Amino acid sequence: MWQPLRSLLGDMSRSYGLRLSLVTLSWVPVVMTFNDDICYIARVDGSSMRPTLNPDESASSTDWVLLWKFHSSKAQCLNRDDVVLFKSPLDPSKTYCKRIKAVQYDSVLTRHPYPKEVVQVPRNHIWVEGDNVFHSVDSNNFGPISNGLVIGRVVKVIWPPSRWGADLKLATGRHDILTAKSD
Amino acid sequence: MTTIARTWGKTFSYAIRAVCFVHIVHNHVYEFTETRGESMLPTLAATNDYVHAIKKYKDGRGCQIGDCIVAVKPSDPDHRVCKRITGMPGDIILVDPSMKSKVFGSETVGNEKLHLPEDPIGCSEDYDESFDSYIKVPKGHVWVTGDNLSHSLDSRTYNALPMGLIKGKIVAANDFNEPFWGGSKGNFWGFRKIENIYVDEK
Repeated sequence: MWQPLRSLLGDMSRSYGLRLSLVTLSWVPVVMTFNDDICYIARVDGSSMRPTLNPDESASSTDWVLLWKFHSSKAQCLNRDDVVLFKSPLDPSKTYCKRIKAVQYDSVLTRHPYPKEVVQVPRNHIWVEGDNVFHSVDSNNFGPISNGLVIGRVVKVIWPPSRWGADLKLATGRHDILTAKSD
Repeated sequence: MTTIARTWGKTFSYAIRAVCFVHIVHNHVYEFTETRGESMLPTLAATNDYVHAIKKYKDGRGCQIGDCIVAVKPSDPDHRVCKRITGMPGDIILVDPSMKSKVFGSETVGNEKLHLPEDPIGCSEDYDESFDSYIKVPKGHVWVTGDNLSHSLDSRTYNALPMGLIKGKIVAANDFNEPFWGGSKGNFWGFRKIENIYVDEK
């Protein structure tokens, strides 16, 4: 009775292709976990971070960046002038890339669309703005965002090769927007 | 010696793959987890209740008014909260007529005592004024409240919740105080479905 089953199992263990595909499949969750929680390569579209990212007008030069995700929503890992990717508070399916201009408890001088002139960033929130101040949908439109929306911090530009080692603090947008620092 | 090393290596590699598999399932498909805190009474008990969360509803995809959700707390990303959606984007919400009475307990989510801000929205305003304070829920946000309104820290304190913080929808719960079979709440460890209780009065 067991003979057919046994021979089938024997065939399976001998079949190199099947074994290989099963082993490969079992590593898929590991790769996904790594990409979800530790490190990821993301493409940055749009002109809001010009000149730091996507410095040229031509569409062919879209920057790909290395994103560090581990512990990225912890307040102590989010510092002023870091470039971060986060889920848009207005549409969770969109991802924005901006620079952190202020961290929790800082007071910020806002710009036009924001209703108040000075605002204090609440606990575990950040104030984000694009470097290209006039072409950017940022905290001046939607207010300070929760740290929980942050996906990761930009560590390096890795593509195209001509942009390797690009300075991520080439320009940092508006200056002197803090009226009081938290520390 | 090499065989021992190989055995350890194999065990380690299996362990990593298993842990990552469970992690991915928890993040993207389904999670079974404990809830604590009084804010969802009587839907969920304060202790020993476990909930089944479906992760398909991550980022508020397909969530509706009246759904029970798990979300990251906006004022503290290390903690998660379990609330009910009581306002969708564009809805106009009466913030809280009972705000005048400063009965704000401290709620424990996870294991940390939470400190409430000095002056929650409208607390110092007149009684009549708090009856009049309405908020329009912005695009991409939802208004969430606990079922136990008098003992819940929710949108009334931290304002509308960005949909990006929603991690899943709660569809059922188990109570491990109940016996394995034939308890008062339902069979199989007090298993019961958590349903959308929204009543459209229009």
